[in-house]
Amino acid sequence: MVKIEVLGTGCAKCKSLAKNVEKAVEEAEVEAEIVKVESLQEIMNRGVMMTPALFIDGEAVAVGRAPSVAEIKSLLKKR
Amino acid sequence: MNLEVFLPPLEAGFEALMEYLSAHVLTCLIPAFFIAGAIAALLQREAVLKYFGKDAPKWLCYSVASTSGTVLAVCSCTILPMFAGIHRRGAGIGPATAFLFAGPAINLLAVVLTARVLGLDLGAARVVAAVSMSVVIGLLMAAIFERGSVEAEETATCVSPAAAAEEEDGRPDYIPPLFVGLLVGVLLAATSGLPLMHKAVLVSILVLASAWLLNAYFSEMEKSSFFEETWWLTKRIFPLLLAGTFITGIIGYFLPVDLIKLVFGTSDFVACFVASVIGALLYMPTLLEVPIVGTMFGYSSGTMAPGPALALLLAGPSMSLPNMIVIWRIIGSRKASVYIALVVLLSTLMGMIYGTMAS
Repeated sequence: MVKIEVLGTGCAKCKSLAKNVEKAVEEAEVEAEIVKVESLQEIMNRGVMMTPALFIDGEAVAVGRAPSVAEIKSLLKKR
Repeated sequence: MNLEVFLPPLEAGFEALMEYLSAHVLTCLIPAFFIAGAIAALLQREAVLKYFGKDAPKWLCYSVASTSGTVLAVCSCTILPMFAGIHRRGAGIGPATAFLFAGPAINLLAVVLTARVLGLDLGAARVVAAVSMSVVIGLLMAAIFERGSVEAEETATCVSPAAAAEEEDGRPDYIPPLFVGLLVGVLLAATSGLPLMHKAVLVSILVLASAWLLNAYFSEMEKSSFFEETWWLTKRIFPLLLAGTFITGIIGYFLPVDLIKLVFGTSDFVACFVASVIGALLYMPTLLEVPIVGTMFGYSSGTMAPGPALALLLAGPSMSLPNMIVIWRIIGSRKASVYIALVVLLSTLMGMIYGTMAS
């Protein structure tokens, strides 16, 4: 079970990242828990200053950009 | 039912729309979207963040805060997290508010469109006024609220792992900025006053050079993310701009010219003040401040004077009701109300100064 977190305050970019993640998880057929972190306080606590950010199993894999479905899939495969 | 009642306002809307779809606007917008895409996808924007640390020299901090919006603020959603981040990481309230104000005001797409549609002088005034105002606001905020020590919470900053990995691919550091520079060259050449033939040749050379650079130095992943980013921005901003322009055209039709002339016809205190208050409260989607000033309030047709036009452009994009609420929550009601008052008053002042200079 992989824990995927999407950090973002709800802007358009963050929503498109969340969508990409859902699609990647479905296509890669991995079991994953997708969490959306929307509180600015929590995002700050992670040290993220540019949203959206993507965390996989507590580790930052992308900050300040929304990776594509293909990229997220390859990140998931590395696990 | 008399259909003819609806025709004139619709016509006004279409007229406004056609003005923005004309070749001279498109030649500036298309390269600008590519530049914004390249900045978002290819530049290591995180590098800027190190200037906001506790130990960074003050002058450097303020200069970066007031100008980095050009490259950082492509998506308005990055502004607020970065504002909160700068505030908490020790740079303090001064640089944080400077960034918060200048970011959206000098965003590249907005500046390009302002200069193209409303004139180079107003475009330049917008940049100069926004940058200098942001420093003044930052310094005042710091002077009012930061007596004595600054309590900073030291949090480690997350740097994008992909950005860190890029350093190993052996590409010289100057390549991505050079690529963006070439795209800026395309924009300048396409909007210049050169004869058509010269212009076509120059633009083609620059486009070919940037295509070659992109091919030679960037990975497949970067290339596709550059195009995706450009397309994403275009898709999000362009339809909104067109719909908004159409609507501002229609609203402009119904606004009585005499009233606008009465309120905004000169660059005196009342005109600039009313313009900045309207700008501060009204939520304007990216770029829409340009048709609002140009068409709705009739700056382009000479109804609105330069002073209130600039005041509205300054207070408008940086502030709206929804983001006032977020700011309120991050820095508290006292600081937020001082910040808002400063923005409105300084926008008014800048408008008055520009109004005097322009007439």
